[in-house]
Amino acid sequence: MRIAAAISATLLLAAGAARADDVSELRERLEAQEQKIRVLERKLELQDEATKAAVPNTPVVRASPQQGFRIQSADGANVVRLRGVLQFDGRYFPDDVTPETADTWILRRVRPILEGTLNGIYDFRFTPDFAGGRAIVQDAYIAARLKPWAVVTAGKFKVPVGLERLQSATDLRFIERALPTSLVPNRDLGLQFGGDIAGGLVNYSVGYFNGVSDGGSSDGNAPTPDAENDTKGDWAARVFLQPFLNSDNFALRGLGFGVAGTFVDSTGSATTTLLPSYRTPGQQTFFSYRATTAASGTTPAVNGTFADGERLRWTPQAYYSIGSFSALGEYVNVSQDVTRATPTAGLRSATLDHNAWQLQLAWFATGEDESFRGFTPGSVFSLENHTWGALELVARYHELDIDDDTFVGGTDSFANPDSAASKASAWGVGVNWYLSQNYRWSENYDVTSFAGGAPGGADRPDEKAVFTRFALQF
Amino acid sequence: MVKRFRIVTACLLLAMAAPFAHAKEVTLLNVSYDPTRELYEEYNAAFAKYWKSKTGDDVTIKQSHGGSGKQARTVIDGLPADVITLALAGDIDAVATNGKLLPVNWQSRLPHNSSPYTSTIVFLVRKGNPKNIRDWGDLVKPGISIITPNPKTSGGARWNYLAAWAWALQQPGGSEATAKEYVRRLFKNVPVLDTGARGATTTFVQRGIGDVLLAWENEAFLSIKELGADKVQIVVPSLSILAEPPVAVVDKVVLRRGTREVATAYLNHLYSPEAQEIIAKNFYRPIDEQVTARHAGQFPKIKLVTIADFGGWAKAQKTHFADGGVFDQIYAPAE
Repeated sequence: MRIAAAISATLLLAAGAARADDVSELRERLEAQEQKIRVLERKLELQDEATKAAVPNTPVVRASPQQGFRIQSADGANVVRLRGVLQFDGRYFPDDVTPETADTWILRRVRPILEGTLNGIYDFRFTPDFAGGRAIVQDAYIAARLKPWAVVTAGKFKVPVGLERLQSATDLRFIERALPTSLVPNRDLGLQFGGDIAGGLVNYSVGYFNGVSDGGSSDGNAPTPDAENDTKGDWAARVFLQPFLNSDNFALRGLGFGVAGTFVDSTGSATTTLLPSYRTPGQQTFFSYRATTAASGTTPAVNGTFADGERLRWTPQAYYSIGSFSALGEYVNVSQDVTRATPTAGLRSATLDHNAWQLQLAWFATGEDESFRGFTPGSVFSLENHTWGALELVARYHELDIDDDTFVGGTDSFANPDSAASKASAWGVGVNWYLSQNYRWSENYDVTSFAGGAPGGADRPDEKAVFTRFALQF
Repeated sequence: MVKRFRIVTACLLLAMAAPFAHAKEVTLLNVSYDPTRELYEEYNAAFAKYWKSKTGDDVTIKQSHGGSGKQARTVIDGLPADVITLALAGDIDAVATNGKLLPVNWQSRLPHNSSPYTSTIVFLVRKGNPKNIRDWGDLVKPGISIITPNPKTSGGARWNYLAAWAWALQQPGGSEATAKEYVRRLFKNVPVLDTGARGATTTFVQRGIGDVLLAWENEAFLSIKELGADKVQIVVPSLSILAEPPVAVVDKVVLRRGTREVATAYLNHLYSPEAQEIIAKNFYRPIDEQVTARHAGQFPKIKLVTIADFGGWAKAQKTHFADGGVFDQIYAPAE
């Protein structure tokens, strides 16, 4: 009995010790597992802290329809944007005068755009253009935005004069700009000081540029493209007011008006005339000054007309938009001193005043708001969703009137009336279908009538131009 | 008439001087290493009071804390620090050499090699020391979990590593090879690497991870003060390293911000008796002899090696902590 009890007690003790060992082992294993869990939780915590710490320094990469592709520093002070413009046009002339060779497809603009801002205030833009089988630099400039009213721009950029010229090629309502733009400079190399005053109610620019002929860009300069082509540079200035920009008066908020101009006093030569030619909306030349030609057979040499003295351009301009409707108007006058060594009258000089004006109207039939710069379509084209994008109807009337003194003097005139028209008057209508923010189809019909420009003093026949454009921009 | 004229003139002169008599407001940015938060909170208040009484100007000191190496890189990348108070001279050398923000001879510009306080490395263990950790050799035993920050980012971690290396070198048969094997085994027992010393303290103390924290001495004392002596205790190893955290004015920044005078005074004042008391109160070892004597009983006596035993920070950084150095060779993150 006692032995049995002793054996039982021993067995119980042994079992108890074994259980205690098991419990102790289990406790240790449990603590080890808890440690592992705590370690994992701490690692996750440290990962979160590292991610949060990295966010202020992490650059931002974005792609958007409005601003293209963008890389931006975390603080936003440094940003580089890659944008682009691709415009593919079709031109057709259902008239009897324009050569059939003018009916063509063309790449009108092929422009990758690299632009950005450094240190929050130094803007830059570089835009080459590869259209027309050549490579030119359209824009290459740096702008230091020292203050809203003190922006210093240096490089090649649009001279601040023509209103429709200043409108971006992606915002134009017609495929080709109107006749007044033929009288104002396009892009030139120079230095400009300007900015916004009173919160943008007034915008002003004053600049000094190499100088280009009417409608020209400095890449077209002779003898050296993108270089000074005469002895003097052009002064340019513009002031544009939007007095009701921040007003409660909704009807007048979209009104802006201003005046701009250029001045230079320089002299060309018979070979580098510094004088322009003017083109129709169909891009066909309808006016040129007499050019210098060498003698050929029985045809004597001809001395051409060249710029000799002052050239003053001035242009009052205005823009108005309200809701889906907009109107753009501008008048341009160019007063140009010219000289020509004539066959019979010797050296002739004169001051010729050419002027042009336009009124352009636009209306979004689909209800979007009109604006001078950019817009957002209410919908994008989608067959699945039965949405059609935005539809815009446009119309314009424009004229370019050459000074009658240009044609006085017969063979001694500054331009040949048998080939150079004294006036072009054009009306046009069009439709723009914006399938999305970035893609547009446009169709324009322009009819241009002329005074003179044909042999015997006759009027050059009307030009009828049907232009089509497929445009992509981002 | 003449008297009235003099009174009017005096009033005019006073009125003209009034704008200039107005107290200036200055801000400084002190970019520091991880565990010095409490020290500089107290010191900044004292310095502001001192500067106000001396010049009449108000000074506000903003603080930034993090792993010493990380902080140095942040300053090089453009963080506009008027002063840097980092864990080791090598990190300030990097700001001088790579960032070119202060001269390379910066360390000679202030007393005591620009180190107004020192510290060392000790072990912080759980109360009762259940794993019986006595010295460096115990850290590599199986089952021991060590908490230390990452030597790539933390100055304290680099002091920890060098102290461990020094101990291994001094063991019988010690060599570069045995020391390398020792630190490899040590880091094998590290489950998680924080970026800075304060993070490592959080891991050990608040998260309850690990058996031993290789800690700045001041961090260890602070943990006992805040957590309680019933939770953790300090174990003093047989050998450690004299850690000399230096301070410097960042010349390019103070030149741009016009704060050289107040930034220099801010660092100079760290050597004052008032500041040295604050330093000792926050468990850093002061360098002022009288203050040191007053607090002698506070700090344990330890056999200390110095960075000179490693050939200086430039050599130590290149050998051990640069990309491809010994640490990269021996450390593989735990799976």
